[in-house]
Amino acid sequence: MRVEYINPFVEASFNVLREVLQSDVKRGELYLKSTSMPVMGVAAIVGLAGDVEGRVLFDMDKPTALKVASAMNGEELPTMDDLVKATITELANMITAQAVTKLHELGFRFDLTPPAIFTGDNMEVTDQDVEALIVPMEVPQGRIEINVAIRERS
Amino acid sequence: MKTKDDFPSLNERPAEGVGPDGVPFRVLIVDDSMFIGKQISQILSSEGFEIAGICADGAAGMERYKELFPNVDIVTMDITMPKMDGITALRKIIEFDKNAKVVMISALGKQDLVKQALVTGAKSYIVKPLDRKKVLERIVAVLNK
Repeated sequence: MRVEYINPFVEASFNVLREVLQSDVKRGELYLKSTSMPVMGVAAIVGLAGDVEGRVLFDMDKPTALKVASAMNGEELPTMDDLVKATITELANMITAQAVTKLHELGFRFDLTPPAIFTGDNMEVTDQDVEALIVPMEVPQGRIEINVAIRERS
Repeated sequence: MKTKDDFPSLNERPAEGVGPDGVPFRVLIVDDSMFIGKQISQILSSEGFEIAGICADGAAGMERYKELFPNVDIVTMDITMPKMDGITALRKIIEFDKNAKVVMISALGKQDLVKQALVTGAKSYIVKPLDRKKVLERIVAVLNK
C-alpha cells in the first residue's frame, strides 16, 4: 500500500483528535497486517470507492469510546447510547473529510460511504488481497487505532 | 490603592444570544447528527439563545421554518442530510422568506457545496469540527448584518 494514502489519514486523525479532545495526541508505531485481526469493541467504518478503493476503520475499546464521546459532549456518558454512537460517527466523519480533502488535492478521485458503527465483543476484520496499515493514536481517553486498507483500482 | 476599576463586573458583557431589546434570538438547528445538533444547541443556549427547534433532515427543517415564521431569527443548516440535503432546504427557505438568515454547517472538503450555498443565499458557513468561539462569531456576525 502506498504511503501517500496513509499520511493524510494520520495527519487528519492527529489534528481532529487534538482539536475535539483539546488534549495531547501521541502517535504510536505504525504496523502492517495482512491477516484477519481483532477489532477492539467499537469500530466506525468508512468505505472508499473510485481511483482507490478500500475502507478505513476507527477502532477503539468500549471504555475509550465512552470517554471520548463524553469529552466531546462535555458531559458524562456512561452507556453506549445513540448519542455516543452519533458522536463516534461524527468523529469518523470529521477525520475522513479532512483526509479526503488532502487526497483530492493530491489528485485521487473517489467517493465515501457514510460511517457505520459496529459494536460487540470478539469481532475481527479480514481484507482479502489488501494489507491493512494500522496507526495507533494515544489520547488521554485511551487508544484509538486508525486502520486503513486501500488499494488502487485494478 | 485599589479602585473599582481593578474589579470589573463579571456580568458586564451581555449574553450574545440576546438582542438589543433583551429578547433572545431564536435559532432553528437542522442537522442529521444528534451529536452536532446537541453541540450547537449547547453552545447557543449557554449564550442565551433560544432553540426554536432541532430537525434531523432538510425537509423537516424547511417545514419547521415555515411553521415558526416569523418567530425564528436564524437557521443552522447541515449540508449532507437524508431526505432533503441542506442546499435544497436552503433554497426552499429562501423562496419562502427571502430575508431568511441561514448559516451552513459543513465538513471540511465541501468547498464547492459551500460556494453553491452562498450563491443560493446562505449568509455564512461554519466548518466542522465546531468550536464555541467560531460558532458564536459567525452566528452573531450574521445576526448583526
